[in-house]
Amino acid sequence: MNPVSHENTKIRVTDLSFFYREREVLKKVNVGFAESKITALIGPSGAGKSTFLITLNRLWESIPEARMTGKVEIKFSGMYRDIYEKSFPLPTLRRRVGMVFQTPNPLPMSIYRNVAFPLKLAGEKDRKIISQKVEEALDRAYLWDEVKDRLNEDAINLSGGQQQRLCIARALVMEPEVLLLDEPTSSLDDSAGRVIEDLILSLKEKLTILVVSHYLEQVKRLADKSIRFSEGSVIN
Amino acid sequence: MLDRVVIAFSWISAVIIVGAVCAIFGHIILNGAGTIKLSLIFGDVAPLDALLLKRQVLNGLFPAVIGTLLLILISVMWAVPLGLGTGIYLAEYAGAISKKIFNLFFDILAGIPSIVIGLFGFALAIFLHKNVSNNIGPCLLISSMALAFLVLPYIIRTTQVALEELPREMRLTALALGATRLQNIRHVLLPRALSGITTGVILAIGRCAEDTAVILLTGVVAMAGIPHSLMGSYEALPFYIYYISSQYTSPEELLTGYGASLILLVLCIGLFSAAFLIQKRLTYITLYRA
Amino acid sequence: MSPTREYLYEKGFLFSAILSGSIVFLIFAFMLIMGLPLFKGNQVVALIKNDWLPARGVYGIYPMVVATLAISFFSLALAFPLSLGCAFFSGSIAPPRIARVFRKMIQIMTGIPTVIYGFVGIFLLVPIVREFTTSTSGLCIFSASLMLGIMISPTLILFFTDSLEAVPKSFLDAADALGATRVQKLLYVMVPQAKKGILAGLILALGRALGDTMVALMIAGNAARVPESLFDAARTLTAHIALVIAADYESFEFRSIFACGLVLYAFIALMVLGVRWIGMTNKR
Repeated sequence: MNPVSHENTKIRVTDLSFFYREREVLKKVNVGFAESKITALIGPSGAGKSTFLITLNRLWESIPEARMTGKVEIKFSGMYRDIYEKSFPLPTLRRRVGMVFQTPNPLPMSIYRNVAFPLKLAGEKDRKIISQKVEEALDRAYLWDEVKDRLNEDAINLSGGQQQRLCIARALVMEPEVLLLDEPTSSLDDSAGRVIEDLILSLKEKLTILVVSHYLEQVKRLADKSIRFSEGSVIN
Repeated sequence: MLDRVVIAFSWISAVIIVGAVCAIFGHIILNGAGTIKLSLIFGDVAPLDALLLKRQVLNGLFPAVIGTLLLILISVMWAVPLGLGTGIYLAEYAGAISKKIFNLFFDILAGIPSIVIGLFGFALAIFLHKNVSNNIGPCLLISSMALAFLVLPYIIRTTQVALEELPREMRLTALALGATRLQNIRHVLLPRALSGITTGVILAIGRCAEDTAVILLTGVVAMAGIPHSLMGSYEALPFYIYYISSQYTSPEELLTGYGASLILLVLCIGLFSAAFLIQKRLTYITLYRA
Repeated sequence: MSPTREYLYEKGFLFSAILSGSIVFLIFAFMLIMGLPLFKGNQVVALIKNDWLPARGVYGIYPMVVATLAISFFSLALAFPLSLGCAFFSGSIAPPRIARVFRKMIQIMTGIPTVIYGFVGIFLLVPIVREFTTSTSGLCIFSASLMLGIMISPTLILFFTDSLEAVPKSFLDAADALGATRVQKLLYVMVPQAKKGILAGLILALGRALGDTMVALMIAGNAARVPESLFDAARTLTAHIALVIAADYESFEFRSIFACGLVLYAFIALMVLGVRWIGMTNKR
């Protein structure tokens, strides 16, 4: 069941299996994701959707007692690269494949510094460039107008929806090519969730987006395609 | 019936322990409070002269206080970088097996009686005396190193536990943003673990201030004045108290012993209260992990 | 940050861990090397079996081993019930407000310097013991055990209280629902659950008692012979180390203190392994 590999396939996953302790969480998953499209990952909880997301940015490597086999390739500047190749630097991968978690997780610092944080990690020193990129990212995340006068406030003071948009801005500031969203609206109320949905739709031109979602309505509104997970396998 | 016995037993135990605490504090405070004057510290020398080291204090606690402060400072200078590095390694880098082995080692280190660590310091001094230089003997340097070994487990454990207790989401946040392991430690994890680490350092300071057995074997003496170098002998408050308790020649001298006890007691209680204030959940289970 | 820097830091952390770990090993090695002349022939047995009679050239540490075990045992025999009672008190019996204050006090008590326990022992406890017992000087096993018992209690109390409080709330709710009284809940639900923690705390407190120097040195009397009653003066291994240190470095007398160090080291290592073993069985 090899993934149909079109010209516009951004991510190619081959024979991916994932184990946590002795449990096989993902079983030989083969799937591809199209560029500049929103793909929804659906299925019952515990089916391996969130785990699948973190195999795409290798974040699982920080989790003890986890193990993975298989191949993940992502097309960067026209070329497929095996992201598990030794020569592929991990920080670079994570800057190109951004991720937003289920619960907003702003770091304990100001709004501005939260968004500037990834730039700092990447070694950007030029203050002008930093402030320009922070504004751009906040703007793309529909947050600039709400926070432009309080950038130095602690991010914890923002509402839940604002915090989540802040996290999206923080993921966008490095200008990633892929964005992984793990149930981005499930901790928010409906109206805050709608704002995030609009925001996600506005991003898809430039980004390949994978979103885990439990809400059928949301999937209908957002996704170009959906992939169903069940007991660690992909069902077509 | 059983209910009443258990309740009575609990109350009696609590009353006994409260009584003991009151007796200890009361005895020291009642006898020591009257001695708390500037002359207890500085003797007949003007405080400013003593502080500027213009004149030597011969009949006050000044040299002992300075000795204890120097001891704390130098010991902590050894122990903090080493303990911090070790704690970070254990929490963030070590594999499961090496972590187990290291944990066992530091459990043993935490349990080694201070007199044995003192004996080690003493043996080290003899060794260095024989093999390196005749000028080395028991001294401030050796004492501070031995004390650093004594308090090292406190710093290692509090650092390690403070880091390990951080929630997994916080651990992953910066990594997902492209932080390297070291950047994650430096910018996110260490700042979050700071209060735990501070607690460990304060406890370590308290241990350095109160320990008598280590310094007894490694260079403390009754009369040395202000230490002139790391290679010299020195005085210290806890040793002074011990010395007075067995060698006092007059009631006045004994009273200075009470004065010294009160100062040391207040210092140590202050440090421990601060540690417990910073970290309310400072449990003994974290300090003595099974 | 460059990969080299990343690498250097990682190696730096590893290096500090190795350095810290090697101290444990070094202490053991130094004791062994310094005490080595003692281990020729069958002197080891003599060393541990014989009395301490320097005038006749007999340097056995048997009296010190006996005194150490006696004082540790009696102090623990005193501290254990006392601490258990106090842990019951702060964990269940006392009204919450009093329990909080009580616990604060116990925490603060852990900060009292050991030399202060010794000092108060000499000038407050010893005269009383002298007055009311057969001990002529008041410096005896009984005085030292009493003071040491008080000294190790706070650690035990906090450890016990932590263990009692670690019992899952669902168990307590279940007991409540069955109509258990406070004491029944304590005895039949909390204590059985906390048994391992209580045992571990006990072993650790024994370690503290064995390792204490100042209290024994100051108020146990330091007589280097096998004690025959509670009111005899006695010298512990730790006090022995402190007292003999001034002897000639090459003498047999001086070497014997490293044997004391080794015995103490071995005691502690066994205890740590014991606590670990308890911890491991706990997880199953």
